[in-house]
Amino acid sequence: MLDHQVVLDAAKWLQGSALGHFMRESGAWTYAIVNLLHILGVASLFGSVLVLDLRLLGLGRRLPLAPIADATGPVAAAGFALAAITGVGLLVTKATEYVGNPFLALKFPAIALGLANVLLIRRTEAWRDRGRRELLPREDRRLAIMGGLSLACWLTAIAAGRLIAYW
Amino acid sequence: MRTLLLRLRLLTFAAGAFVALTFLARPVSAHHGWGGYLDAEFEISGTVESPVSLAGPHATMTIKGTDGHVWNLVLAPPPRSQQAGLKDGMIPVGSKVTAHGHRHRDNDRYEVKTERLTWGDKVFNVYPDRS
Repeated sequence: MLDHQVVLDAAKWLQGSALGHFMRESGAWTYAIVNLLHILGVASLFGSVLVLDLRLLGLGRRLPLAPIADATGPVAAAGFALAAITGVGLLVTKATEYVGNPFLALKFPAIALGLANVLLIRRTEAWRDRGRRELLPREDRRLAIMGGLSLACWLTAIAAGRLIAYW
Repeated sequence: MRTLLLRLRLLTFAAGAFVALTFLARPVSAHHGWGGYLDAEFEISGTVESPVSLAGPHATMTIKGTDGHVWNLVLAPPPRSQQAGLKDGMIPVGSKVTAHGHRHRDNDRYEVKTERLTWGDKVFNVYPDRS
């Protein structure tokens, strides 16, 4: 596990950063607005990921994978970027208060796993050849497993993220 | 058939993790909502340790209670607290104040979800519909 003191020092540094000051001192509505953008980012990410992952798991198999992937990918990426940027803002507002929060400690590894899964799936031949040829059953299975893993990661990240506030 | 089972298992796993997390969180809820606080009305007086902060999901301040403990006062969200007359950095350190609201369910946590804050002859009703 990470050393508590190191985490606390990092949190103090984050809280004292220019962004931390901005989040705390730029008006009563700042946090609420950044929070809203964070939710919009998460909604865009999860909404598009859900459609893609369910398709990978076999739902709506008569629809071709390629256009679904092309439509959902950029929305998911943009949603993730928005959520990540605003998430840093939310965190640094009072970073030290989140040290030791078990849900945050669960959320970050879940996000890391979700991203690693994205990289892995993009490296598979089946993913790269989508739309160009019929995938083998073995390949379909593999993509289905990765789609299921993806759902598990993002659901965990969202659940843990929401619960940070209830610790 | 085998793949269908596998998929079902994965979906169940995802749903299971979600549900497990939700239940795990039940008994510890804090800050948001009133579920993490006792139903009984609670009042504590003391001197200001750190002034009002209108940052984050809820406005906050800390006081040194007459009981010797440092109490964390959780107020309404910043816009609502501001509407009740509170400003960032308000109420100087050492001022005598009284907080009325609900105490955290955890006895070891000196935290009050504050509905009404009194400072001299000023009363800040941050949750006017509750008190």
